[in-house]
Amino acid sequence: MNSAPLPLSGLRIIDLTMGWAGPLATRNLADLGAEVIKVESCKRFDWWRSWEATPEWVADNGAEKSPQYLSVNRNKLDITLDLEHPTGRELLLNLVATANALVENYSGSVLPKLGLDYPNLVKANPELVMVSMPAFGSTGPWSEFRAYGSTVEHSSGLPHLVGDPDQPPTMQHVAFGDAVGGLNGTAAILTALWHQKQSGKGQFVDLSQVECLFPLAAHGVLHQSVTGQAPQRTGNAHPEFAPYGVYPCSGDDAWVVIEVTDENQWQALQGLIPDLADFSDLTDRRHRRESLDTIIAQWTREQSADMAMQTLQSQNITAAKLNNGHDLLHEPQLESRGYLQWLERDHVGLQPNASAPFRTDSEPMPIRHPAPTLGQDNDYVLEEILGLSADEVSALERQGVIGTKPELAN
Amino acid sequence: MTENSSASGVFQDLTIVDVSGSVATSYAAKLFADYGALVINMESAEGFPTRGLKPLLPSGESAMHGYLHTNKQSVVGCQTYLRDEQAIVNADLVIYDPNHLPRPDYLADIERNTCAISWYGLTGPYAAMQGSDATVHALSGLMRGIGTPEGPPIIPPGYQAQIIGGLSAFNGALGHLLAISLGNLNSVFQLDASILEANMCFTDLAAINAYNDNPLPPRMGINRFPPTYPLGIWPCKDGWLGVTALTPGQWKAFCKLLDMEHFAEVELFQSSVSRLESSDLLEPEILQALSQHSAEELFYKGQAMRIPLARVPTMEELFEVDQYSSRNAFSTVTVGEETFSAPSTPFRLFATPPHFGGTVADLGADNHRWSTTHE
Repeated sequence: MNSAPLPLSGLRIIDLTMGWAGPLATRNLADLGAEVIKVESCKRFDWWRSWEATPEWVADNGAEKSPQYLSVNRNKLDITLDLEHPTGRELLLNLVATANALVENYSGSVLPKLGLDYPNLVKANPELVMVSMPAFGSTGPWSEFRAYGSTVEHSSGLPHLVGDPDQPPTMQHVAFGDAVGGLNGTAAILTALWHQKQSGKGQFVDLSQVECLFPLAAHGVLHQSVTGQAPQRTGNAHPEFAPYGVYPCSGDDAWVVIEVTDENQWQALQGLIPDLADFSDLTDRRHRRESLDTIIAQWTREQSADMAMQTLQSQNITAAKLNNGHDLLHEPQLESRGYLQWLERDHVGLQPNASAPFRTDSEPMPIRHPAPTLGQDNDYVLEEILGLSADEVSALERQGVIGTKPELAN
Repeated sequence: MTENSSASGVFQDLTIVDVSGSVATSYAAKLFADYGALVINMESAEGFPTRGLKPLLPSGESAMHGYLHTNKQSVVGCQTYLRDEQAIVNADLVIYDPNHLPRPDYLADIERNTCAISWYGLTGPYAAMQGSDATVHALSGLMRGIGTPEGPPIIPPGYQAQIIGGLSAFNGALGHLLAISLGNLNSVFQLDASILEANMCFTDLAAINAYNDNPLPPRMGINRFPPTYPLGIWPCKDGWLGVTALTPGQWKAFCKLLDMEHFAEVELFQSSVSRLESSDLLEPEILQALSQHSAEELFYKGQAMRIPLARVPTMEELFEVDQYSSRNAFSTVTVGEETFSAPSTPFRLFATPPHFGGTVADLGADNHRWSTTHE
């Protein structure tokens, strides 16, 4: 095990985010070695633990069993503070005074109502970086509008570029905006931390999750701007290349994507599928795309998706099988790079954890510990960082400022 | 590089060299350039691959290249090895795609921080395989969930996988540059960033759910995804409305919005999963109700009722949305004499804002700045 410090060792991040996007942004910092302290409360716990909590769920420790919560909160610490209680707010401000950055993704009106908006937080720590990542940004007429990752995708216009023209504008994922917002959130925090390190100054950072999707729609945005014409959705037919598409393989719901982008690949494909000899140049192939796809599908149906991929790739033809969730557990490329790291976690046992998508060694960035339980680190944070005594911490628990069990609203 | 975009901003002391010019490397370097880094594109005589990407401007120049390369310098490399180029002298980071190098050993002995951005990573059985945005979407599992149940699954268009890969690589590279600044790293680093692994951000949960014997169901249809319903994009009297109702409160409010209150208290429909299982029953009623209203009207009424509804703007409408225009979400890129609109940097540091738009260097426009080996 490498004992060198992790890249962001020594940085402290206060994490007031919930759901997917915000916690992913801070998870990436935790993976890089920052001390990320997630702040929930027993009454307002991360809704990613459940959006339909019931007394039975509480009794069954449901708050500790949510795979989605576990996946974006590993490598973090967790405390509970009731921010609607004056003492909870005071403790948060004390914690902020020790931190490099605070990240939040509440609806726009929440923190100002609590007196915990940037002007107040910066009084506690003039060098603080604060990153706010609401769906539509913190300025503009929609700044307080509500959204999930799906709403973010809807609002970006991206669905108008996806799928067949005779279908509705097409979503790509149940919560596409969350993952993209999370990655951009990491970029925003790191950029501001870089500035803080160079200048000694903090600042407010505003991230619009919807705007984070515009780069993914850039090909359509640019087409509209340059031509003045709306880009047409073309399904799986590529505007330039043929063959290009998703082809059926043997087995249930088995598919391979094939993409021929130059004449070398085309000739190699003709070598594998002799019935393609009748087709000539790219113009001909695009003109007779349907016939072309039919012949290729006859060939792919005779083999597994993995075999099709391996055969095509052996001829330098761009191709890949379409994985599902189960396939990902055994995907050779991911397996060979140790992409899934396995950790024991209270209440759920051994669990896979996805690694950071970059590495400097042959091994991925270490996942040091699994996601914390609710309030798991109350004692450490309140006593070791804020200097409270054990009696004071016990008093906070009696007052309901802190705790370790979810409480449902009446 | 424009004179008015000369070194200023958060990364004003950083020099980044991109030697490959894939969409992924270009986007990673773009984020540094947007915040003031000196980014040098070390191009071949033919130029970066992005110079040929559509859409093209009337002049024949690539708008996609323009979007990716504002506020950067362009130098045509003329040495066998990068170590011999003047532009490398002060480089803090060299970004490259191993499949887009002038020669395999081009980076030999450069003794600089490097960030490789490749389709599948530098190691593993797929390291040398052909890759593309589509193959990444296939292998990551994203594509398997898009489209009708009978298939075929739908390929996400454009360069989405590479944008995500470039963004993730930026995070990794900046994190390690920060490590040096913090004293946590005392030697040069060689980062290996995988576009496939970056795009697993959408689907790693699918693997985890499969492990826990709770696999996601196969494709459920256009705009239909677990774990909730209603969720999707539906036609209204005019325009398209994006709908998400996840919590019991949102479901009740949605029923009230559409005068479907007879559904609001039905026990079966109180859970998101139960509604999804009953979607064939609910959908005709929802479609009928939506057809009586405009998308705009429902969007504002719904948001006032705390329902996360959305207008689904076309590309043309995108430029007219007041929320986006008020925030300069799109800015002007200049290529030669031509201009167009492109997405602005998504995150805004208030005290040290990014460049909004800018100009794009012609191929080799900055040779004279690194003139010891150029005419």
